[in-house]
Amino acid sequence: MKTSSRSMRILTGLLTLVLAAGCGGAPTPGGATEGGEAAGAPTNILDQIVASGTIKIAIPEDTPLFGTLATDGSYEGYDVDIANMLAADMGVKAELVAVSSQNRIPYLTSGKVDLVISSMGIKPERALVINFSNAYAPFFWAVYGSADKPVTNVEEAKAYTIGATLGTLEEIAFSDAAGPDANIMRFDDQATTVQAFVSGQVDLIVTGNSIAGQIIKDHPEMNVESKFVLQQSPCHIGVRRGDEALLTWVNAFIYSHMLNHDLDNLSLKWFGEPLPDFPNF
Amino acid sequence: MDYDFQFNVIWQNLDLFLWGAWLTIQIAMLATALGLVIGMVMAGLQSLRNPLISGAIQFYIEVIRNTPFLVQLFFVYFGLPSLDIKVPASQAALLALTINIGAYATEIVRAGVESISKGQIEAGRSLGLSGFQIFTFVILKPALMTVYPALTSQFILIMLNSAVISTISAQELAFQAKFLQSRTFRSFEIYLFVTLVYLLLAYLFRAVFSLIARLAFGKVPAN
Amino acid sequence: MRAFDFTEVLIALVRATGWTVVLSLVAFAGGGILGLVLTMMRVSKNRLLQSVSRFYIAFVQGTPLLMQLFLIFFGIPILLGFDVPAFVSASVALIAYAAAYLADIWRGSVEAIPKAQWEAGTSLGLSWLQQFRHVILPQAVKVSIPPTVGFAVQVIKNTSLTSIIGYVELTRQGQILNNVTFQPFVIFAMVGAIYFIVCYPLSLYSQRLEARLTIEAR
Repeated sequence: MKTSSRSMRILTGLLTLVLAAGCGGAPTPGGATEGGEAAGAPTNILDQIVASGTIKIAIPEDTPLFGTLATDGSYEGYDVDIANMLAADMGVKAELVAVSSQNRIPYLTSGKVDLVISSMGIKPERALVINFSNAYAPFFWAVYGSADKPVTNVEEAKAYTIGATLGTLEEIAFSDAAGPDANIMRFDDQATTVQAFVSGQVDLIVTGNSIAGQIIKDHPEMNVESKFVLQQSPCHIGVRRGDEALLTWVNAFIYSHMLNHDLDNLSLKWFGEPLPDFPNF
Repeated sequence: MDYDFQFNVIWQNLDLFLWGAWLTIQIAMLATALGLVIGMVMAGLQSLRNPLISGAIQFYIEVIRNTPFLVQLFFVYFGLPSLDIKVPASQAALLALTINIGAYATEIVRAGVESISKGQIEAGRSLGLSGFQIFTFVILKPALMTVYPALTSQFILIMLNSAVISTISAQELAFQAKFLQSRTFRSFEIYLFVTLVYLLLAYLFRAVFSLIARLAFGKVPAN
Repeated sequence: MRAFDFTEVLIALVRATGWTVVLSLVAFAGGGILGLVLTMMRVSKNRLLQSVSRFYIAFVQGTPLLMQLFLIFFGIPILLGFDVPAFVSASVALIAYAAAYLADIWRGSVEAIPKAQWEAGTSLGLSWLQQFRHVILPQAVKVSIPPTVGFAVQVIKNTSLTSIIGYVELTRQGQILNNVTFQPFVIFAMVGAIYFIVCYPLSLYSQRLEARLTIEAR
């Protein structure tokens, strides 16, 4: 959760924006692309976008629950909803560009898109190239099970059979935490692990929230809930280096929708559970 | 080839492989024994010459022999629970293996029983042998000698086929290989080693079976 | 989750069966060619060729196919330095597997031909290769057809294991569909039924050929 100094920064940023728009002369650090001096002429990317009436946003081409192709040819998912919300708040049209995880950053840096909203986690090597907003979407690995099983930590989980996909981050993390005496069934791939959980062959499943979200949606009768979170890797919106104004705006956007629980509702809609507490960024 | 082979992971985890190999052997033995029982029961039922029973048994044999073992395994492990028949992993693997070998064992036992001609039994009776003696020396011993090669081959086949049960997380030898490679990424070295272990096990068991045959029958029955 | 639509599922499964058949044909054809070479090595007079062939066959027959699959799946990228699609790994592994078993079957067929046939060839002044090609092979082929057809069934069944290295054939398609519809009992029963429909006729044919051969031999 954000500290009060974070809120202060955002409010200050907003204030600066307002002043800049009004007086047209606030210096923007970094990048040679902006740095408006003259009054009236929009030279930073945020103003350019608003003036042009369209924002180009990269969304996932095939990440379940975040962005996938629907049967009618349009895209649907958490990231798609966020992109549309963002464009609406800015008062512009959203032009959604489907990207893979390989080309999403190059698309941003080359100017093909203005923002990347594509279940992207923060990694230092990425932060060398682009800027990240605050967390806007949940991505975490947790232990899931039906509501009738009282499990709150690793020790209590060991009373049951647990299923996980061999070699994944969450399987290794859980195996290390649980130790050799845990009854862990390890399967070759996600599909088999999910099958094992749904068929009742394992009581609990260690998996990512997007996969669990699919299970929750498809099997409401199982009353699946998250027992405890193993590790978080929340998603952040990608912004080009130097687009400070845009970055600040995006953070304001996220902040306001978090305060009014829009993001919680969106998370419930797609993942079957509200947002977790994001770690500090 | 620009690959740096490292075999230390194998020596460091020898205990895992040994444990897995031991489980493989146990499963193969159990499945073969149970499968043999099924085979004897089925062969006995077939000898009743009841068309309905024989038809059902033949159907079972043909289904098993014409579908992949992996599909049979998935059917038992994932399919049965959806009918509310819950079978835990280790039992599911054994059940699928036993059902599988049962089909082949039925044929083997039947061949063995049919190899005993009626004339032999009558000869035994005319020699004044008791029922038990007839069963043991006229029927059982020659039948076992006839089916011995096929049966021991089946055991080796089961042992090799058991690698497939690693897909439902049975912790036998193949699974240990998968597990270790997920932690160390030394895939080729690990799988090469485990493959050679299987080869060694097959060779060892063939030698053991030859020895048993020599002791029990006085010679090794030809195939 | 999409509701279980029988027709939709059946069409998807049948389409995947096409991939099973393609892989089976590739394995059988490739295995046949390599198997023939191995057979010739096995029955040749050359000690080295014999040993190599014998070791190869013993290795393939004494180890699980699943392990052979993994060895090739992880070994090829190491050997070539780049990754190959699952179909290539699956094909190479199944060709290697089929070659060994076919070589063993055919070796048995060749060895069933009486020595007199070989000697007749020698007395006619034919080289080993000529004898093999014109005298032995035609007779051996006839004997080898029933077990070879029977082995085709094994190949088709064993393509199911390639699902584990990610090749999308019938079994894998069944798993994928099951994940969407969550009807494992029906789906795997359908998968099994399709394998049965493909394999059973071959099994019957092999048995009939075997019976006919036995009758002719009498």
